Amino acid sequence: MLLGEKLSKTYSSGNVLDNVTVQIVPGQIYGLLGRNGAGKSTLFKILCGLIKPDTGTVSVQAARAKSIGAIIEKPGLYPYLNAADNLRIFAGIQGLSQDKGHMTQHLMKVGLPIDRKDPVRNFSMGMKQRLGIAIALLNDPEYLVLDEPFNGLDPIGVASLIQLIQQLAFTDRIGILLSSHLMVELTKCCHYLYVIDEGKMVNAGFTHQLIQDHIQRFSIAADNIAAAQAIQAYQPVIGMNDVKITCPASQITTVLQQLMAEGIRITACTPELTLEQLIKQPRA
Amino acid sequence: MKTLVWAEIVKLMKQSKTYYALGAVFLIECLIFITAYYQGSAILDVLLDSLKQSFYFEGTLLNGNLILYIVLNGLWFNVPLIIMIITSGILTDEYKDGTIQTTLLQAVDKGSFIGAKYVVAIGFTLFVIAFMMVSSGILAYTIFGKGDLVVYLQTLNFFPAADAFQRIGWAFASGAVAMLFYSVVSMTLAVWIKEAAKTWIASALFLIITNLLLKLDLGIAIANHFFFPKLMDTWQAFFYHEIDWGLVWLNNTILLGYGVCLIGLGVWTFRKQDIG
Amino acid sequence: MKIIWMMALLLLTHVGMAQEVDADLMKIKKRLDAVQRFTATVVLDLDVPFIRMPTKTAQMHYEKGKQTRFSSDDFVMLPKRGLDFSFDELFKYPFITVDRGMETRSGQSLKVVHVIPSDNRAELALATLYLDIINQRIMQSEINTRKEGSYTLSMHYAKPSDILPNRVEATFAVERLKIPFNFMGKDTQIDRQQLKSTDKKTGAIKIQIKDYKF
Repeated sequence: MLLGEKLSKTYSSGNVLDNVTVQIVPGQIYGLLGRNGAGKSTLFKILCGLIKPDTGTVSVQAARAKSIGAIIEKPGLYPYLNAADNLRIFAGIQGLSQDKGHMTQHLMKVGLPIDRKDPVRNFSMGMKQRLGIAIALLNDPEYLVLDEPFNGLDPIGVASLIQLIQQLAFTDRIGILLSSHLMVELTKCCHYLYVIDEGKMVNAGFTHQLIQDHIQRFSIAADNIAAAQAIQAYQPVIGMNDVKITCPASQITTVLQQLMAEGIRITACTPELTLEQLIKQPRA
Repeated sequence: MKTLVWAEIVKLMKQSKTYYALGAVFLIECLIFITAYYQGSAILDVLLDSLKQSFYFEGTLLNGNLILYIVLNGLWFNVPLIIMIITSGILTDEYKDGTIQTTLLQAVDKGSFIGAKYVVAIGFTLFVIAFMMVSSGILAYTIFGKGDLVVYLQTLNFFPAADAFQRIGWAFASGAVAMLFYSVVSMTLAVWIKEAAKTWIASALFLIITNLLLKLDLGIAIANHFFFPKLMDTWQAFFYHEIDWGLVWLNNTILLGYGVCLIGLGVWTFRKQDIG
Repeated sequence: MKIIWMMALLLLTHVGMAQEVDADLMKIKKRLDAVQRFTATVVLDLDVPFIRMPTKTAQMHYEKGKQTRFSSDDFVMLPKRGLDFSFDELFKYPFITVDRGMETRSGQSLKVVHVIPSDNRAELALATLYLDIINQRIMQSEINTRKEGSYTLSMHYAKPSDILPNRVEATFAVERLKIPFNFMGKDTQIDRQQLKSTDKKTGAIKIQIKDYKF
């Protein structure tokens, strides 16, 4: 387990973290939600040992030389080296094998081309993120901390990265903590969510539970749904391709059944949960 | 530590700016050669003018040794500037690219990391001095040949060619110690300042102030001995008629001592610092 | 000017004694004239204030009537005067002599003779020679030139029969050294007072001559 307990940090500009506790277990994916400047990066740096907290402790139960791999803020890469050389440098400084076979393996694991020789300054943001993850995975860490890994990625890139993250957690049994302000992406891939605001942990819980407790709106896509009776009591907002209704999670099943009884063919039902909702409503 | 030093060497060799720096040193050398040739002729005319009444001269004093001596005089301000830019960049570039974070997120000890950077900075400096010595020596002796060296230091000293060659070699070695000091200073400034441009400015300022303080007479003999700017031109000692080896060893040992203290301070500061 | 007055005084006071060239000097001149050519190795040791020069070696090539040549692998400073052991310059033009009597120098009794060239083309104005009349050779000379100052020569010989010296010491006046400041060793402390006080000093060059080949 990776445990950061009652962590606080103050800079001259103010209190950045205030009594924050997080816990990561191998094989699980944790999300950290928060606005820009909420303290996510500072928390990650403390967990990774780059910054010392003013109070609190970080403990890692891991048998490996490198317990935590991470990308914080953006992947730090040598722009004048190509992908393989970057990997070689970071592998070499830890005494790891740098042979071509191993480098190829690492590149393939994160979905990077193995024959590209140009320096990484020419890479797209998504490719840099992948290379950053490959470097973070060097030396088989037990935990992976990813700060805003979806930044700069297109939807296909995001989906691909989520797939990779899930594979690392489920197959390689790595405990993963990732941060983002992209609600939908985090709710899709995380088992557990932490919500941080202004340096304080304001909410936390299993993803499905948080959604259940906080979801108030749903987006339903279906043919002819605008005229459906079942939704009229839920302040429907008719959109281009869907209808948004205000409805607690406990009642959505009933609404969907009523729609189906009216003969409405539903193609999608997506909960809409905003960060503000999670921040304003403290955990139960 | 070995793997870290290896990584630093690879990074240094893969960056084009390293080669720009070596090219710049070579260019400066060539320019100083040209000015030294014309300066040397003029100097000799004036120096020997008062002797021409009583003597005539066989052989020429405008030879490789004199050119190298004038080059030595000119190099010790220009070359440290380039060395300080490259050596400070060994650390500041890591901050700029974010690779310092990436590196320290690996299974790497902080002290070893910064220690390796100092080692490579020192190695690079010695390489540059060796490069300078070999390239200027080849150019000087090939174009201007060998011969006696004349230097004015308290007296007008004439050194036979073989003796002059040795003295110039020792002067480069002693000058290298001064360059090592500058190199360590720039690395330590990089630890404190972190940003490239600010570190260059601070390094250049340090160099200028040191050169100005070199001329300052503190009045107290022992202060003149231990105040570091006074130690920077110890290489001159090799051109007095009698070489004061005791002074040479003492000055260079003190300067190395300052360097070691600065390295210690830099490593200690870096270990205490938060990253990011 | 001073030299011209001195010459005039000497002529006036010793006109009676200056009727003919000194016989002892003529004998020595005859011996020196017999040396047509030689080569030798010269080892030069400079002793001049503010100049530190290591011992230098050069090859000397003398041929009567021609300019003496020197060759060396090193840079050498050769005195303009002092290497004329055969006194070619002194005897080049007609001259008159004045006997100044005997004088003891370094335990040796020497005949002192003034030599005054009577031709205006001569570079020398006056020479005072100290002659070893027993071995028929010149032991010392004090030379005053018209344009290039004065110098003294002390000759030492290996054997009593030698006419060419194995050691010569030349002393001369040295002008103040001009030092271009931008050439100084960096940040040298210039002792200006000391430099100025040595405005005009005496320098010496000690010459060893060996391996004569005729």
